[in-house]
Amino acid sequence: MIESIVSYGLAVGCIYALIGITYNVMFSASRVFSFTSGTLGMLGGVLGSLFIARMGMPVAAGFLLALAAGALFGIVTEIVAVRPVLKNLEQHLYVLSTLALALMIQQLTAIEWSTEPQPFPRLLNVARGGFDQQFWLPMLACIVVVVGLELLYRHTLVGRAFLAIAEDNYAARALGLPERRLRMASYALAGVIGALAGFAGGEMLLAFFANAPMLTFYGFVPVALGGMGNNRGAVIAGLLLGLFEQVANFLVGGIFASVAVFTVFIIVLLARPEGLAGAAVQRRV
Amino acid sequence: MPISGADALLDVAGLSAGYGKIGVLHGIDMTVGAGEVVALLGPNGAGKTTLLRALSGLLAWSGSIRFAGRDFAGASPRDAVRAGLAHVIEGHRVFTQLTVLDNLLLAAYDLPRGERAARVEEVLELFPEIAAKRHGRAVALSGGQQQILAVAQGLVRRPRLLMLDEPSAGLSPVLVDRVLVVVRRLREAGTAVLLVEQLIEKALALADRVYALARGAIVLEAGTGEADLPHRLEHAYFANTNRHP
Amino acid sequence: MMDKPAEQLRPGSAAAPGSASALGAALPFLALLLVGISFPLFGGGYWGLIATRACVYWVLVSGLNLVVGFAGQIAIGWVALLTLGAYTTSVLTAGTVTPPLPPYLALLIAAVVGAIFGLIIGLPALRLRTFYFAITTLGFATIVTQVALAWQSVTGGGVGVPGPILPEPFSSQWGFYYFCFGLAAICTWMTANVAASRFGRALTAIRDAEVAAEASGISKPALLTAVFLFSGAVAAVAGGLFAALQSYITPDAFTLDLSILFFIAILIGGHGSILGPLLGTILLTVLPEFAAPLVAWSTFLYAVLLLVIVLVIPGGIAEILDFRNRRPLESGRAIVPRPDLLPRLFGAPSDPGVLRLEQVALSFGGVHAIDGLDLEIHPAQVHGLIGPNGSGKTTTLNVISGYYAQQSGAVRLNDIALPVLACQRRAHMRIARTFQTPRLVGAASVLENVMIGGTVDGEGTFVESLLSLPRHRRDEVMLRDTAMLALAVVGLERLAPVRADRLQHSELRFTEIARALMLRPAFLLLDEPAAGLSAEEIVRLGALLKAIARGGTGVLLVEHHADLIFDICHHITVLNLGRMLAAGTPAEIRSHREVVSAYLGG
Repeated sequence: MIESIVSYGLAVGCIYALIGITYNVMFSASRVFSFTSGTLGMLGGVLGSLFIARMGMPVAAGFLLALAAGALFGIVTEIVAVRPVLKNLEQHLYVLSTLALALMIQQLTAIEWSTEPQPFPRLLNVARGGFDQQFWLPMLACIVVVVGLELLYRHTLVGRAFLAIAEDNYAARALGLPERRLRMASYALAGVIGALAGFAGGEMLLAFFANAPMLTFYGFVPVALGGMGNNRGAVIAGLLLGLFEQVANFLVGGIFASVAVFTVFIIVLLARPEGLAGAAVQRRV
Repeated sequence: MPISGADALLDVAGLSAGYGKIGVLHGIDMTVGAGEVVALLGPNGAGKTTLLRALSGLLAWSGSIRFAGRDFAGASPRDAVRAGLAHVIEGHRVFTQLTVLDNLLLAAYDLPRGERAARVEEVLELFPEIAAKRHGRAVALSGGQQQILAVAQGLVRRPRLLMLDEPSAGLSPVLVDRVLVVVRRLREAGTAVLLVEQLIEKALALADRVYALARGAIVLEAGTGEADLPHRLEHAYFANTNRHP
Repeated sequence: MMDKPAEQLRPGSAAAPGSASALGAALPFLALLLVGISFPLFGGGYWGLIATRACVYWVLVSGLNLVVGFAGQIAIGWVALLTLGAYTTSVLTAGTVTPPLPPYLALLIAAVVGAIFGLIIGLPALRLRTFYFAITTLGFATIVTQVALAWQSVTGGGVGVPGPILPEPFSSQWGFYYFCFGLAAICTWMTANVAASRFGRALTAIRDAEVAAEASGISKPALLTAVFLFSGAVAAVAGGLFAALQSYITPDAFTLDLSILFFIAILIGGHGSILGPLLGTILLTVLPEFAAPLVAWSTFLYAVLLLVIVLVIPGGIAEILDFRNRRPLESGRAIVPRPDLLPRLFGAPSDPGVLRLEQVALSFGGVHAIDGLDLEIHPAQVHGLIGPNGSGKTTTLNVISGYYAQQSGAVRLNDIALPVLACQRRAHMRIARTFQTPRLVGAASVLENVMIGGTVDGEGTFVESLLSLPRHRRDEVMLRDTAMLALAVVGLERLAPVRADRLQHSELRFTEIARALMLRPAFLLLDEPAAGLSAEEIVRLGALLKAIARGGTGVLLVEHHADLIFDICHHITVLNLGRMLAAGTPAEIRSHREVVSAYLGG
């Protein structure tokens, strides 16, 4: 029993953490949060099922195509819902534009794909049971992303350009960095990460359009608790969230588990609005 | 001596710019010749920083800006850098979470990969005090060293015109002199410099020509060799004082 | 029938009461009223249901409009209150938990429950950033639905519970329609009253110019509390009506789509408007009916509509219908202040005492922004505060006006220390200020913006405004008259009905001054008011400030424009690096060697 709580909890926690990282990568590039992060996770699962199970593609091809679709959707988010409203950050229009875009994609999926959860194909041809792939695939995805981002930020100039833009957008522009192109690339990267989360977690979450609002919320909790833009915080918070949810599930049952998660979330947030690891923002008049 | 429009490296005519509804610059005319050091002086709020931002494309403007024979209409900061115009912004803003080396490599972003390391080394030779800390993160540098790093960033692309926005702000006198020595060497090497400064005596000692900006317009243009300059500047700043009954 | 303060129903529609524009603004509401009352004559049974549903939705949306459209809080999950109200009413009338209660009593109890939960769901807005708050409201909505599903003993779980049935004459279809229509009309009236009150204006100030709202004495927590209570209550009543309309409710009737619909109706309608969201609600309720094959696509269409509105016409339907603000303004407008009107505005002069800073110090991360500053501002004097960039001028002003807390030293008025970090309290002490960049509500008219400055002088409560009781009306007349006078003083009365974002920069500056004058301030703090003004306007500004000081006000003028400073100041303090470099009369400062150096550098 403990074993399954832990493996399920950590696995789903990795998915939440990855969506949190998706939020963070978009935030670092543009200073805004996008509602499309959860939708990307949903798309990873739905498209994976579409390409591999329904259309019969080989697993590798379906995987790459799903990631490509994620990158594309990330770029679309930037062009359609973020760039036009960046000039007016105080009006918070990005909340509405990204919400609208996310809703459009969710509804489209519900109509064109299915309103019921569909099965996600078994990715590796191995028998079920033990420490099953539906558990370690999300964990592997999380490790790959975390390590990959480290390598990107530490060892490539593009990665360091991302960090520069995240820290001081104005100075980056003045230095001559191609700020717009880098922002689009960040969003494409975020798209890939989100789609990867959904794909790796496909067997656990199934291919279901309603995963989008669920991931939008559960993927944001790691960001809120771990601090804006803080990927390490997101991973730790995501894992803790996954475990907490499973324990609550076990103790009080599925529905009250979500009540428990939400209650803890709101209490922590009210006590420390900047998150457990974040820094308080000084107000400038 | 004044440079005629024809051979000026930078030729600005009728430049106006502002922030939203607030107009800051009203019809600026100025030139900078190749290899010249030009000082831009003026009280706070006059529009000096706004002028530099317009020139490098960080701010929208109207009027005419020509640089090295190119029309700068619609040019982005990246276009400006590629054309040879570098802008070291105010406030010694460097990327504190990255190393000194990374800060300089980012300045070389648009250069071919093979050249980047060489250019960065070239610049580090000019500034031994930060060369010694090249692998440390910029956050560990003092304010003055960060300013030196920012100037170094501007030099990576071997610009034809380097614009410095108050490089002495927050620096100890020793470091101020270091920066100004570099500016002098740049002039000798043929790089033009447009220097916005608060320290008038030091700027005048270094520059060939000076413009004084007040309330968004040029109120004085002179060669630094001319007589009575400090007095004329003071008068230009505090002019238009209307006495009312 | 219903008394609508029609002249102020739309932003920018401020005009003298009783004029043609007042009727013009009321016309759409009267038309809707007429259509609604006569609906049963031409609409069939099916359309009657649609119309009833639109009325029920509008009852909720009218309240949510105050939260989203006026206060600017992005509360996406308000369906939670619809759910709460529906289940409370249904369970109480069904008698499964308590003995069955009469439907009206059940609705009343639902309203109370809704008010309490509206407050619970809404209050995090005071602590959380925008996106975070939006997500928490979504979370609440999900939770409430889940609890409805799980709490089978009370809510019937997935099986559901029958809705309330209203007694005669409201039990028939048309009877019920008139009941809902009546409530919808009352909600329209009440929220329109709030919109045209100091509370409505204060809400828009919180939305678009929060810093300035605080300087005008507006308390965000108090105002949001009132709005969340009201909004929660009507949403729960709407829930009860919804349950009656459906006649049987299950948890999956309360989808997130419904929440989004309410929210989008307000956004399509436009911020700060009553008519816009009303039309938006009708549109969104009716749209799926016309596009029959697209019913499944309705949420998709709503989302597309939302995206289009956000990107193309953020002002929504209200902006489209705002014909008055499409009329061109006269070009070549000059600002001609009339300082001679100041005595009429200020009334009898008073002696507030001296405003004193004693050894005030404040550092930001190791930088001494203010380093042991002594300053005295006397009534009836203009005191100039000048210095190079970074010398601490604006920081000093922010400490006096209560936005920053000094780390040592004191700010005293008449030897009583001013409370630290209490920027809302300054307005009550008659300390007014302007800002470096004008902070106004762009979507509101110039007159409304200036009236915001006098918010603390209103006496009526929020409830009195809701019901348009006499004290509310007296407040409105008083505020309007005072604001027109203040505008006349600064020379902008001709621009009173114009939307503030159509004004030139210099006109915005003078509007801010008029807003500050509404407090009849004992002390007026100005942060670089001359920036961006023409030479002529600076001269007029100087004359105005001198006149204000002559009337007894102590004026603190932070400025870069040396000519203005030397012209009108009785006393000047020069700051450098957070410390006083020199202080004295203009003549003394002018010739002070060190000052000249500091300005010129070296």
